[in-house]
Amino acid sequence: MAPRMSEKQQAILFAAVLIAAIAGLYATTLLLQPVPVQASAVHFVRLDVEGMGWSIQYAPVTTNNNTAFGLLLEASAKLAFPVAYVWYQIPQGVFVTAINGSVNGEGRYWLYQVNGVYPNIAADHRALHDDDVVRWSFSTAQEGM
Amino acid sequence: MRRRWQAVLEAGLGDARTRILGIFLIIVAVVGTVLMRSYANIETVFAASLLAGSLLGRWWTILVPLTALAVLQPLEWSTTYVGYGLNAITGITFFVISGYVFVGFLGRRIRPRVLFRVKSVALLTTISVPVTIAYDLWTAFGEWYFITRPFGVGIRTVLEAQVPFTLYHLLSSLIFVPLFGSIFLFLHTYGWPSRTPAAATKTPDRE
Repeated sequence: MAPRMSEKQQAILFAAVLIAAIAGLYATTLLLQPVPVQASAVHFVRLDVEGMGWSIQYAPVTTNNNTAFGLLLEASAKLAFPVAYVWYQIPQGVFVTAINGSVNGEGRYWLYQVNGVYPNIAADHRALHDDDVVRWSFSTAQEGM
Repeated sequence: MRRRWQAVLEAGLGDARTRILGIFLIIVAVVGTVLMRSYANIETVFAASLLAGSLLGRWWTILVPLTALAVLQPLEWSTTYVGYGLNAITGITFFVISGYVFVGFLGRRIRPRVLFRVKSVALLTTISVPVTIAYDLWTAFGEWYFITRPFGVGIRTVLEAQVPFTLYHLLSSLIFVPLFGSIFLFLHTYGWPSRTPAAATKTPDRE
């Protein structure tokens, strides 16, 4: 029969197991973080932003802002319309809350598509390639997905 | 009549030490969650609810999560999650509150019999793992039903997206449950460190 551990030994064993579990879990969460997109030049990408009763088009010949979110911010700076967003650390990514004064809420949210497909990743982690079309739309539940 | 109410209140809230610890658990739940608000799912309401049920019992099982969420939910819906419709807010709030109350009741069911022992802290920490997963599954279902389902997103996609958040929630539980568990178990058993030994040796009455 194994000897009974003292309270101190139990505390040391518990602390060791706990620290190992926390370290392992933290390492796993780091591995699950989306890989940041490396900046590179893309050509002939197009941005369409569709609000309620208004739309914005932007089509640079070349840009280094090669993410769906980067292109939106570039258009926002060039064409002078405001974009509001929240940056999340876990998992890393942006959540666009308002474009050109149209704020998320009451069943309408800003969603984006790339070449007609809704990506399952935050817009700042969706890399763009030549000739990609990004569409941001102020969608209702019925319109979305 | 007044005496009867007083007796009911005293039975529900426990002795002075239990009341002080209950209020401290509410403060820990609110302040900890507010301080960690930029980290999704790193929060102290879970640990506080589990400890309220397992250490204090009585009305504190419900009072701690409900009071903490009465402060935190309006704060979150008006700042971090601003813009959601009333339907989504009501639905998600129901799932969050019922989830934490469930954690409190589960804590009450597994009340450690041994006070301020490593075994008690280990038991609470171990149990916090499946309970955290169950809580996340419950609230993910609520999120799917009230927020993403109307957009045609399936429950499977929501659960897949939930994985990193649940890992962080587990991390939160593994840090805060043993940390606050040790502190509150000590305070529950011995009271506040005091210079007068007599005041510190009284053991609180257990439900």
